[in-house]
Amino acid sequence: MNLPRVRVRRPWRLAAEASALLISVVVAFPLYWMVLSAFKPAGEVESTEPRPWTLAPSLDSFRRVFGQQEFGRYFLNSLLVAGTVVIASALIAFLAATAVTRFRFRFRTTLLIMFLVAQMVPVEALTIPLFFLMRDFGQLNTLGSLILPHIAFSLPFAIWMLRGFVKAVPEALEEAAYIDGASRRRFLWQILFPLVFPGLVATSVFSFISTWNDFLFAKSFIISDTSQSTLPMALLVFYKPDDPDWGGVMAASTVMTIPVLVFFVLVQRRLVSGLGGAVKD
Amino acid sequence: MKLAPRLAVLLAAAVVTATACAPQTSDNSSSGEDEKSGTLRVWLFQEVNTKPKEKVVDAVLADFEKAHEDTKVDVEYIPVETRAQRIKAAFNDPDSAPDVIEYGNTDTAGYVKDGGLLNITEEFGAWDEAKDTDPTARQSVTVDGKIYGAPYFVGVRALYYRTDVFDELGLAAPKSLDELASTAKKIRDAKPDLYGIAVGGAYTYGAMPFIWANGGELATGKGGSYASAIDSAAAQKGIKAYTSLFGDDNCPAAKCAGMGGNDTVTAFASGKAAMAIGGDFSRQAVDAGKAKGKYAVVPLPGVKSGSIAPAFAGGNNIGVLKSTSHRTLAVDLMKRLASKETQGEMFDAMGFLPTFTDVRQRVAAEEPFVKPFVDTLAAGTEFVPASAAWATIDSSQVLPTMFQEVVSGKKDVGGAAGDAARKMDDAFGSAG
Amino acid sequence: MSVSPSSSGGAVRERPRVGRGPSRPRGGGRKSNGAPRPYGRSSGTPWLYLAPALVVLGGLLVYPVYQLGLISFLEYTQAQVSGGEPTTFKGFGNYAELFGDAQFWRVLLATVVFAAACVVSTLAVGCALAVLLTRVRALPRLALMLAALGAWATPAVTGSTVWLLLFDPDFGPVNRMLGLGDHSWTYGRYSAFALVLLEVVWCSFPFVMVTVYAGIRAVPSEVLEAAALDGASQWRIWRSVLAPMLRPILVVVTIQSVIWDFKVFTQIYVMTNGGGIAGQNLVLNVYAYQKAFASSQYSLGSAIGVVMLLILLAVTLVYLRLLRRQGEEL
Repeated sequence: MNLPRVRVRRPWRLAAEASALLISVVVAFPLYWMVLSAFKPAGEVESTEPRPWTLAPSLDSFRRVFGQQEFGRYFLNSLLVAGTVVIASALIAFLAATAVTRFRFRFRTTLLIMFLVAQMVPVEALTIPLFFLMRDFGQLNTLGSLILPHIAFSLPFAIWMLRGFVKAVPEALEEAAYIDGASRRRFLWQILFPLVFPGLVATSVFSFISTWNDFLFAKSFIISDTSQSTLPMALLVFYKPDDPDWGGVMAASTVMTIPVLVFFVLVQRRLVSGLGGAVKD
Repeated sequence: MKLAPRLAVLLAAAVVTATACAPQTSDNSSSGEDEKSGTLRVWLFQEVNTKPKEKVVDAVLADFEKAHEDTKVDVEYIPVETRAQRIKAAFNDPDSAPDVIEYGNTDTAGYVKDGGLLNITEEFGAWDEAKDTDPTARQSVTVDGKIYGAPYFVGVRALYYRTDVFDELGLAAPKSLDELASTAKKIRDAKPDLYGIAVGGAYTYGAMPFIWANGGELATGKGGSYASAIDSAAAQKGIKAYTSLFGDDNCPAAKCAGMGGNDTVTAFASGKAAMAIGGDFSRQAVDAGKAKGKYAVVPLPGVKSGSIAPAFAGGNNIGVLKSTSHRTLAVDLMKRLASKETQGEMFDAMGFLPTFTDVRQRVAAEEPFVKPFVDTLAAGTEFVPASAAWATIDSSQVLPTMFQEVVSGKKDVGGAAGDAARKMDDAFGSAG
Repeated sequence: MSVSPSSSGGAVRERPRVGRGPSRPRGGGRKSNGAPRPYGRSSGTPWLYLAPALVVLGGLLVYPVYQLGLISFLEYTQAQVSGGEPTTFKGFGNYAELFGDAQFWRVLLATVVFAAACVVSTLAVGCALAVLLTRVRALPRLALMLAALGAWATPAVTGSTVWLLLFDPDFGPVNRMLGLGDHSWTYGRYSAFALVLLEVVWCSFPFVMVTVYAGIRAVPSEVLEAAALDGASQWRIWRSVLAPMLRPILVVVTIQSVIWDFKVFTQIYVMTNGGGIAGQNLVLNVYAYQKAFASSQYSLGSAIGVVMLLILLAVTLVYLRLLRRQGEEL
């Protein structure tokens, strides 16, 4: 953090800082309102005089959320699905990114273009073919039906992003390792992997979010076994278009957002440096 | 790197075995098995307040589990709005499908065509309670002379109104549709924070009586072939009558165009509307709100003063899925869920009108609330076209889109009705 | 963990050289001394590394896409799915039906305009805030960064419902603050789109901001100082110094934004309740979903999916051309 590098005149800097703070408030406001509404007592959320504070915070909405059948189970299911997808797609993408950046072989460019194209596939449209595929694998109604497609959908972007990181590791390092007698596997896992790790973290943010947020597959593939449900499904229970239980929705949303926020805060530093490394070509 | 190639080969093999050239279909023939123990899955609909329903159902299930050794029943309450997807998914994957489902009677033809429901003509004929089933209800489980379920309750809609508001403004319950409109506007004028009558652009079953009362029809035809009649002059008159209720002088389009049936009932229950078109099944929701004790119900009036508009003969049925591997058990459970006794209890708990004529007469005598609904039923009801296409027309929102287009001023009545008629004919055509 | 920022700085520095020499300097270098590896006896190694990815993608992406294309040429409704009727080949029938439907063109136009508006707004906000981040001290920078990460972390379903509540005609604070009474934001076509746009920008600008910020940090400070000493205005520094150096990064965030915003689904689905009054807020993705699942017209839904894929493919081609013109290799 060796900024600012450009000397900015004082009044300008003050104005810039003031607007930065103002913008942070505006950007954070929806989140604040979400948490606030979750803590408001029932009458206050659905009041025509909304106030930006509450004098009588209450846990009722959270009680409703956690009182829902097996909410803890849904939470664990979501964590399990997202965790598996993050780890699996990171490992697979790491290998693939290594292959396309550190080797020259036929169809390399074709493959790269394919990875880019794969990101364009509208996932929602694939629900039908995937439904039958999952059925034939006997995966419907299990968490596997959520894990497998999400690994597939996270991969293209992950590979595309990881390329930059793998490329950034100097080739001299690799040659030196081989001269020192390291095997290819040793180089891959003990030298390259740690160096590329920040990139893996940045990448995993994307696969984590998309998996954690998914409600389309959960809705379509978890047909009748409620013990395999995930968090977004539980959230939708409170959101009836006719008459949403705003307190419940906001409490469930808060519960759903917190793990992602924690994840983000944990990886924040690496994310910033990671993205910088990933998008360069 | 020993594991990776092996894993790859394994996965590749799995992919290859699953790969077929044609897109997938499911084999929906009945399983043929008839196990006498195990776990049965049941899907029932969520209600605005499901608790009282659950209580009645739980009692039935307890008896059922006692009567059959080593059987367990898993019951799940599914949301009505997304039922189409859930149930279709169940048809497509027999392994995760339930054994017994509750379904709306407008879906019967579609589900039968999809090959999802079990033909239980024989069992139904042998069921001694079945002979008291009201003919309309019986019709709603019948396709091509075969029976695909047991009627669960009949749903018919009538006009709820707030007695306190009407007394205060010196108004009487409207006797005709014109009077309904003028009364609604008077109320809105005197009390600008109330909708005169809560109407919804997506409330198909509340809007249809307006069309039928004006002599219109949704479609004409019999048996397999239907043709849309939604753009006939009479039907357009009905559409105009219904859509004229949207506006700042009754129910502002910005609020009401997007509302569905439950929204209008919720608005009435929470005291935001002086009138609403609600069903006998809405009573419990209304009583849970601010309107409790301050309302009365009359049949929805027709065009002529004193007449009753033909209502939609709605209602739900209980059916058994073709894919069940517990045929005998599932049919027994269906009978128990739809029995005279259960329907009587369900009426007490939820206000669902029984489908057995004798039970209905009994509850009507005990409970004056039911009278306007029974009167409406007696005055004659209408039904949606008995075609598999109706499920498509319903779920692709053809009619709500038409009403919303008129209400929001995107199209005039003729244009919107013409488009809707074309879409309906497409659906009828492809459903054969 | 400082590999990436410094090396990305290196990459940016290399850029002028690329401009001068048409030959691919880095690629050429690698070919001569990179290809023969000490342990590169088997040329199958890259394929070994690629195998897991290819298997997963082949089975769970390529095969379903193939099915999608196939279904779009068939008569395929619920009756066919459940085996009640045989599937029949319709050729381009589904496409003809689609292209003959005025609503499809309306939805297509709405999608393109909406996606373009989202991309432009997201990029503008993201870049502006990235530049702002470099102009402020640690505390405001941290505040803005955390707020942005919060918005980014919010799941799409959650974000959509929160924004709906904020703009709710009865219970929302926004109407109260602006004194709009019970104005309904989701009733009018444009105001509903505008509301969704705000939410989309809110949750997607952080990606642009963080990425561009990381890119600016990698620009050597001497360059900026020199420009500032020359008395160049902020705008000029951005236009003539930063933007060209950041071009590869900008291209990447643009293409990603295009891909994401063109496929917006959850926000429209949740915020306009499945497409708005009389379907006025439909975009292609939601339209395909409604066709396929609400109406069981799987083949029409698939055809729409294929059309979307083709449009995005065209965008990709443009992107690849851009990369190539810059002398980039993949």
